[in-house]
Amino acid sequence: MSTYTEKIREIARRLLKECQVEMVIGFRKGSMPLMNEPCIVRKAEDVDNLVWDSNCGINLANYLSNRKEKIGIVAKGCDSRNIVTHIMENKIQREQVVVIGVPCQGMIDKRKVAALTDGDILEVSEADDTVTVTTANGKQTFDKKDLLQQNCSLCTHRNPVIHDEMVADEVVEQTGIDPYADVAEIEAMSSEERWNFFDELLSPCIRCYACRNACPLCYCPTCFVDESKPQWVGKSQDPLDVRTFHFLRAYHCAGRCTDCGACERACPVGINMRLLTKKLNKDCLDLYGWEAGLSLDSRPALDVYKPNDPENFIK
Amino acid sequence: MKVIKIDKSQWSQGLEKLRNSFRLFGPVKEKAFHNFQELAAGQAPELDYQNTRLSPKSLVFPQSELMFNYSLDKEDPECNILKEAEKDYGDRAIIGIRPCDAKALSLVKMNFNNDQYEDPYWLNLYNATTFVGLACDAPCSTCFCTTAGCGPYHEEGLDVLLAEREDHFIAKVLTDKGVRLLESAGWPQASDDEAALEKAKAVAEEKIVAKIETDSLAAADTMALHSADFWEDISFACINCGTCTFSCPTCWCFDIQDEVYRKKGVRMRNWDSCMFPIFTVHTTGHNPRDTKLARVRQRFMHKLKYFVDKYEKGIMCVGCGRCVRQCPVNIDIRKVSALMNSLGSEAKCAVQGS
Amino acid sequence: MKNLLEHMGIEPDRLHFSWISSAESTKFVSVVNKITAKVKALGPNQRFVKQAAKVA
Repeated sequence: MSTYTEKIREIARRLLKECQVEMVIGFRKGSMPLMNEPCIVRKAEDVDNLVWDSNCGINLANYLSNRKEKIGIVAKGCDSRNIVTHIMENKIQREQVVVIGVPCQGMIDKRKVAALTDGDILEVSEADDTVTVTTANGKQTFDKKDLLQQNCSLCTHRNPVIHDEMVADEVVEQTGIDPYADVAEIEAMSSEERWNFFDELLSPCIRCYACRNACPLCYCPTCFVDESKPQWVGKSQDPLDVRTFHFLRAYHCAGRCTDCGACERACPVGINMRLLTKKLNKDCLDLYGWEAGLSLDSRPALDVYKPNDPENFIK
Repeated sequence: MKVIKIDKSQWSQGLEKLRNSFRLFGPVKEKAFHNFQELAAGQAPELDYQNTRLSPKSLVFPQSELMFNYSLDKEDPECNILKEAEKDYGDRAIIGIRPCDAKALSLVKMNFNNDQYEDPYWLNLYNATTFVGLACDAPCSTCFCTTAGCGPYHEEGLDVLLAEREDHFIAKVLTDKGVRLLESAGWPQASDDEAALEKAKAVAEEKIVAKIETDSLAAADTMALHSADFWEDISFACINCGTCTFSCPTCWCFDIQDEVYRKKGVRMRNWDSCMFPIFTVHTTGHNPRDTKLARVRQRFMHKLKYFVDKYEKGIMCVGCGRCVRQCPVNIDIRKVSALMNSLGSEAKCAVQGS
Repeated sequence: MKNLLEHMGIEPDRLHFSWISSAESTKFVSVVNKITAKVKALGPNQRFVKQAAKVA
């Protein structure tokens, strides 16, 4: 991993020195274990702030919306897919971005670490495939694969789909994975069970909108929950309003979501709202053979009509 | 006030007795995190926590709070009359609130109870509540209370301070409300050693290693801080969610909303956040804080400068560390304060440019 | 939309889609009859109906 950091700095330094970009968007070391902070570097002498490790789960494509500068951006597989989506949706031009591709080996889920360890987490270090966690009560070593965010452990697009630079050779993509086992479990429930399941899932929500704001897809100038003329949804903690927010947010991501996991990662109360977006991803794959952001050359599923589109919902 | 010893064998029966006079609230583990909620009969507060995920501010300042009911039915003789929503302002007690969270409420009180303004909703709940604190003997690595005008045994805003020991609690009674609560619980009041409590306090304070730098903030020039060049760097990562403000025990902003269903309406207030772009949108459509930078700056300037200047009671932060731990992009108030503070010590007036 | 609503716990027979030309009056009648029969069988909708805000 540290070789990634070196290589990112080297590329960023070159891009800035050669005036190929005005700024580089990447991560700097966080003030807490298991956290890094998205940042911009504008000067070649500041590139040593940039780091890479397994705590770069925030999707940096989120920071590209409507920017006018020429930008170098560090991008793992999912980030690159969202950059593709951004380009297709005209939120940024292809010529504006120099994609510094990072073959991703998965991001650590800090809640998993907290659940598996005892006491306050003081320090976390990683080497190859292991992660050592120092807590107030001692040291524990884990296999990194046991600590990955769920979306990372199910990811089959770890390598950037577009890139202008690469920090390392491509990693081997995972195969033989069923990414939708959790969705299938919900599909197997009765209608009432599902209703209750989502009631329970969403009950801790405090409507801080971290899920929405961490998502690169959510760039509307005014979100539907913030509209007041007309007001589409109530603003209180009423469970139905909370559900309406989550349901419609998910729907707005239909055919666009890359399951980068930024929403779940950002949630302060640990809600897995991906169970809504993943259902739509699964449908898009099953019905239209579509996965978002894989190529600049094909239009999104909900953007094109094909005579053989399934329409068995029309009676 | 006196210091007494409560044997743990007497604990739960005392709590049950308390229920005759108080509604009880306390920390309970929900799924992965502890949070404050009302304790059902027979349910004890779970005191084996470091810090709750969300602060207990919602107990006196619910995230969504009903204010008025009204009818829009022309047939109704009370049509168009706002009627105050009925509330239970009977005695209640929060058992096991951390000293930082209690101090936070006393900071919020300056805003909700002062010469210009009294907030009846907040004050009624606050005054109805007896606060039984739980001293911190094992603080988190992100706690910086001792440099934020607070501490693991801080007494401000508490009626009783408890310190948990192997087989008993040491209870320091701080107010008359506290005396009344202990009497209602009927715990035998063997006196305990105040010196031991002081010693434990010193040990606990030693354990707080994280710090916030604030000493030059009061003297700093407001406009110099406002126009400092570090705000772009600080605010870049921010995604403008409400995690910091909603988890903060000292953030008090709210938004009033009406909702009408058929011919019945309610007026309520909901927590609002200065991080949200629509927080400052005027009816004209103009938004004076229309950039992320302006919003992030506002949050930190309010906590670390405007509040400091207005009340002269230090910063509007108690060092609980929730925003530091929960910010999805790791914006750290300690880092921001250090930057503001270092500028503060040298800043000249930006307006005069001298 | 229908799939996600059902995923979230809305009964499958609550939301119907049909394509009926203005000339297909008999199809219209039969579709409406089928829909009303299905919805009646489900009874009044209890989910996703807000009568008043549930707040403190």
